[in-house]
Amino acid sequence: MTAALTTSTGEPLDVESLPAVPGLGGLYARGAAAAGRIAAGRALPAIPGLGSSAPTDDAPLALPRTAYRVAGVQTAGLRTHLRDYQRLLHEPGADALPSGYLHVLAFPLATAVMVRGDFPLPLLGMVHLANDASLLRPVTVGEPLEVRAWSENLRAHRRGVTVDLVAEVHTDGELAWHGVSTYLAKGFEAPSTAEAPADPAPRGDWVPPLPTGRWALPGGTGRAYAAISGDRNPIHLSSLSAKAFGFPRAIAHGMYTAARALAEVGPQRGSAYRWTVDFSRPVLLPSTVDVAITADDHGFAYVGWNSGRQSRHFAGTVAPLHSR
Amino acid sequence: MSRSPQPDAPRTSPPGPRDAVVVGGNRIPFARAGRKYADASNQELLTAAIEGLVARFGLQGERLGEVAGGAVLKHSRDFNLVRECVLGSSLSPQTPAYDVQQACATGLEAAIAVTNKIRLGQIDSGIAGGTDTISDAPIAVSEGLRHVLLEATHAKTLQGRLKALAKLRPADLKPLTPVTDEPRTGLSMGEHQAITTARWGITRQAQDDVALASHRHLARAWDEGFFDDLVTPFHGLTRDDNLRPDTSSEKLAALAPVFGKALAGTAEPTMTAGNSTPLTDGASAVLLASREWAQEHDLPVLARFVDAETAAVDFVHGHEGLLMAPVHAVPRLLARNGLTVDDIDFFEIHEAFASTVLTTLAAWEDDEYCRTELGLDGAFGKVDRARINVNGSSLAAGHPFAATGGRILATAAKLVAQRAASTGEPVRALISVCAAGGLGATALIESA
Repeated sequence: MTAALTTSTGEPLDVESLPAVPGLGGLYARGAAAAGRIAAGRALPAIPGLGSSAPTDDAPLALPRTAYRVAGVQTAGLRTHLRDYQRLLHEPGADALPSGYLHVLAFPLATAVMVRGDFPLPLLGMVHLANDASLLRPVTVGEPLEVRAWSENLRAHRRGVTVDLVAEVHTDGELAWHGVSTYLAKGFEAPSTAEAPADPAPRGDWVPPLPTGRWALPGGTGRAYAAISGDRNPIHLSSLSAKAFGFPRAIAHGMYTAARALAEVGPQRGSAYRWTVDFSRPVLLPSTVDVAITADDHGFAYVGWNSGRQSRHFAGTVAPLHSR
Repeated sequence: MSRSPQPDAPRTSPPGPRDAVVVGGNRIPFARAGRKYADASNQELLTAAIEGLVARFGLQGERLGEVAGGAVLKHSRDFNLVRECVLGSSLSPQTPAYDVQQACATGLEAAIAVTNKIRLGQIDSGIAGGTDTISDAPIAVSEGLRHVLLEATHAKTLQGRLKALAKLRPADLKPLTPVTDEPRTGLSMGEHQAITTARWGITRQAQDDVALASHRHLARAWDEGFFDDLVTPFHGLTRDDNLRPDTSSEKLAALAPVFGKALAGTAEPTMTAGNSTPLTDGASAVLLASREWAQEHDLPVLARFVDAETAAVDFVHGHEGLLMAPVHAVPRLLARNGLTVDDIDFFEIHEAFASTVLTTLAAWEDDEYCRTELGLDGAFGKVDRARINVNGSSLAAGHPFAATGGRILATAAKLVAQRAASTGEPVRALISVCAAGGLGATALIESA
């Protein structure tokens, strides 16, 4: 009944249907336990219902060959949630779901992939490096969705390995949204012989452009986006909980900054668009972030940096697509 | 049965456009925020300006065509601000009124509206005005408190109301004072202009020179009695209290930059409290009429309100500077009237910041900019500095947002009337006012 699913490189995936998109709170608890298991290098019993065999210590890293699928995700009851998202991210109060909102809806299923017993990397401690999402056709609040998620493309990075978490949203049996979140797990080794890309240019040389906007981000920015997205990773919630993970203060969710940049592109992004972001340095809260959102030949490019400093936080693009 | 039109029947046609003229103006002295007018409301300020105009031209009991004006920082209770001012004045209560709001261009936009009706023959007379007070600015409640209060108001039961109120958080109680930040960018007007200033490479020295000239020109004009028939004292103030006749290049050079400091590394900050307009309280009003109405009422005519042009620019993603809209409007206005910069005797360019004047002039002198952005064949032209803001402008007088258009229009009208009286030649003035939101209003007036 379901068409065969494959990764972007054509490798087949088993499809496991779940009754509902799982809640992120429980997933983080499992993720924390799994992180301890992976860090300790010993296998704990697999979590019932979520995957099967745990990786052994010596085997090369391998991703689960399973995709999760949840059909019939109802959005009719999400109007208030959508409105809260729109107010927080400065999106207009329309019925069309912004790409950042679809990421919020699909993200828990991708997280469920990451807490499977056979997922080889620890959820907590992974660094969100980049995101690339395409809204191929408009999705409206009230439409039932099918959400899919899997992992792929495990590859070497100069500081460890990176993995892509892919999430999709289908409406009426057609792909409407495709998102790829790239995470770094520090200190792990890639299975293949592929070499890690060379270091990018040193950071200090970057000179910010003239800003087109300025964001005064209060200390509660992480808590506010956590409440909307469900992503209550402790690094975003308070100075105390962030310190436990090595940050001097709480940091803003990368996706909050990217989604705000997307919102501030405005109606010129059109009803279908590709939206990318690369994260550099985290935004420590509270903070003043200067942004330059400028039109180019393909759409818009944006970059955000610490106001008055030469420290870049993120950069990305928003390009209109022809609606299918 | 329908009547078929008869081709040779006389048709009634509306009266064609006729002249609208500036009879005179009146304002109250502008006061720095929190000082002389600290206790006065927008309504009191504008009523005082209108009442002074009524007294000057003997309009007690007169039913005017309309009064249009507004305020930028306006309390929701002032939904009919100008009508309330009319009812509180000696004008006939049968004088209609309405509110206009176009940020700092409010006053000039009101004059454009009134003169258009006069030119069309819909009205014979009217007042355009504006007022603003920073001292008595409305304060809003936070979005959190507002949503809770609205929900509690809409709740039908006590339980529902209590449930709504229980959502209140301590942070929601913090009041929101008005800010001059652009809603879509989060940058204040000063920061926006600092970016435009950096783009055009305007120096600190050039900005301080504009500020110094503004104070000297305004002080001279006051001393010469230029404002004797344009200003009525209010609350013990007889002159604009922001005016510093004794300021100097040295004093201005000693001030620390206040805007553009975060651009360090990209551009040196150059904008100070001395070359930026201070927050100010004040109000102004201008009497406009048809020539016939002025004649019938035995009133003088200072100038003809010839034409006007408004513009807006795409500033949100930095394509154009926030305050550059008049740069686009003026070439269109002059072209429509068959004029060039050399045909203008007086340029009144609102000094939101000294650098606003300078970036405007730099843009008009830039060949490539004028071609690509303004669609001209080349540079619009070089404005003779001696013709700009000859009796001072907002840097010295202050800038109570909606009141500035009326101040400038009355000043420009008197300038062309004086010059024409002494030379016998036609004299023209151009008025340019930039505004928040990437807006700009410009107008052309000519000796009557």
